[in-house]
Amino acid sequence: MLTERSPDGDRAPFVARIAGVGRSLPPTHLTTDALMATTRHHTHIDLERLTGIHERRVSVGDEDSLSLAVGAARDCLARSGRRPEEIDLVVSCSITKYRDGLVQWVEPPMSLEVARAIGATHATTFDVSNACAGTLTGVLIANNWVRRGAIRRALVVSGEYISRVGTNGARHVRTIMSRELASLTLGDAGGAVLVERAEDTDGGIDLVGFTTVADHSRLCLAYPARAHAGARMFTKARAIHQAAIADTPTLLREAMDAAGVHIDEIDHVIPHQTSARAIRTGMRETTAALGAAPRNPAVVTVDRYGNTASTTHVVALVEELDAGRLRAGDRVALVALASGLEIGVALFTVDEGLEACRAHHDRLGRRGLG
Amino acid sequence: MPTTIDSVAAASADRWRRRSAHALADTVARRAIRQAGLVPADIDLLINAGLYHDRHLGEPALAALIQEDIGANPEDPHADGHGTFSFDVANGSCGMLTGLQIADGFLRAGTIGHALIVASDSRPGRRLAPGFPFGATGAAIVCGWRPEGHGIQDLRFTESATGDAMADPTGGLRATMGFADGRHRLEIVETPEFAAAAAAAAGEVAAKLLADHGLRPGDVELVGANPLTDAFLDALAARLGIDRSRMAAPRGRQAAHTAGLGLALVAAAPDGRLPETTALLVSAGAGPVAGAALLC
Repeated sequence: MLTERSPDGDRAPFVARIAGVGRSLPPTHLTTDALMATTRHHTHIDLERLTGIHERRVSVGDEDSLSLAVGAARDCLARSGRRPEEIDLVVSCSITKYRDGLVQWVEPPMSLEVARAIGATHATTFDVSNACAGTLTGVLIANNWVRRGAIRRALVVSGEYISRVGTNGARHVRTIMSRELASLTLGDAGGAVLVERAEDTDGGIDLVGFTTVADHSRLCLAYPARAHAGARMFTKARAIHQAAIADTPTLLREAMDAAGVHIDEIDHVIPHQTSARAIRTGMRETTAALGAAPRNPAVVTVDRYGNTASTTHVVALVEELDAGRLRAGDRVALVALASGLEIGVALFTVDEGLEACRAHHDRLGRRGLG
Repeated sequence: MPTTIDSVAAASADRWRRRSAHALADTVARRAIRQAGLVPADIDLLINAGLYHDRHLGEPALAALIQEDIGANPEDPHADGHGTFSFDVANGSCGMLTGLQIADGFLRAGTIGHALIVASDSRPGRRLAPGFPFGATGAAIVCGWRPEGHGIQDLRFTESATGDAMADPTGGLRATMGFADGRHRLEIVETPEFAAAAAAAAGEVAAKLLADHGLRPGDVELVGANPLTDAFLDALAARLGIDRSRMAAPRGRQAAHTAGLGLALVAAAPDGRLPETTALLVSAGAGPVAGAALLC
């Protein structure tokens, strides 16, 4: 596993912290019942019971990948009280790069458009593409640059207008064994994380680690649909779940050992949100393999937002922060699982500045702007 | 304390015209690793910067497929293995330089020992991309690190405000995939203004890099630049005041895209090993976004 632990000697003398998070959600709710009513075939699938997903947010043409990314970036800056000119790096990490409806932009990079839209005039920019692990891959890179002192502040953003994959999947799903069933779990969201140099070491990022178990690289493939706008996605969900169950405990143990942290010292585990049942099974197996459990049950937001691809961790972080469940001193593990097969973990401690992002948002809310 | 370029490999032109970008990437990746005297399992980080590949795959990252194909620690994690981490970057024709910048960061921090940056493009299907302007080209770079000696001393990119004054916010190059008339279609539009805008951005960042290191244009013995078009290279040479003869100009270069930087380096180092000279790597792409690296 490629791991970076902080602090780490002369070659990476600084510690990075999560200084802010922000998200952007389309206002339209789509329940699983309503989505399943659109399937072309009579599927007899109780998707809500299978996945625990009650509803997800979807763009009805009012949002696209760029607008969701920009919305999340602005929310993140407002919550953290940072000005866009203070940002040295903007990394965009989404799978979808739709602008102007369902037009996927390949060049120029999305990150440049986001940086310009929010006024991050001094930021350098590039895009990362790593399926649902994109945002944590961006955090890994940002953490590296901040730790070395190459930059002071990075904004990692993603906007996923990916529900169209579900619209396309609904035309083809016939049975519970369909390889497009996972398409129906997707929802739209934007997420942003501000990574900056910690001036003291009370909180901050302890470790980010990643590996790619490429023997399983072809278990989830997505590409443009032949006959419809948007993409189609083909997933061998059971095989992914089995590989994840087999590999994640080994990698988590490696990461925890590198960080010098025991699993029962972790307050909150935020896994990638695919289905409530998969999350609970995965946590049970991981706990059994590691011989200890984190202090709280795994965070589940997939019931409200579905699988929002590369933005799930940020959507959940904001949810937990706003609910007052993330307090200064709490240690959080973000666990990525994505097509590739990408497995990663980001371990960080909430500091007062991050906890205060919620308070700031409350003030915005009282003025009716939140 | 520099990052070293241990090996470069490239493939292009007629021989590969029918090859997919994915197959090209596999070929150049294997060759670059072999030339560096390594085996695939030595690669800790694999970054793909190519943009146009088979069926325009959205996920997974093509890097993961390349990792599996070349056999770079693809197996389930085990106690005595260190694994390989793979992902894609997208930064237009600057992608390879962005990959180098990311790899440089992990090498400098001592997080990894070796990185592979690979980029390739080819037409992603006849129906999907009629009139696709780029040839089938691929290139790969293997990087390492050593405490002192020849290597990447500095690497930087333009800020997002670069080109803000331009009438065209894409910097003269735009590539989109949209659905119309019952099918998806990749549309790549390059205006005549692109080369000048790209050269202006690249010239600015490269000139500042040289000045910050107390170097004059005459000190630079080799320039590896991308895009490889005459319009860009002429404009860049004029802006930097560097003789055009010092700019690597490989055969079949006009059609290269993300792999262009690798093609340029191979032209200067046919055996895959760069000479230990003062060299400038420059790339510019849509936006415009531009970056430059100094090797000495």
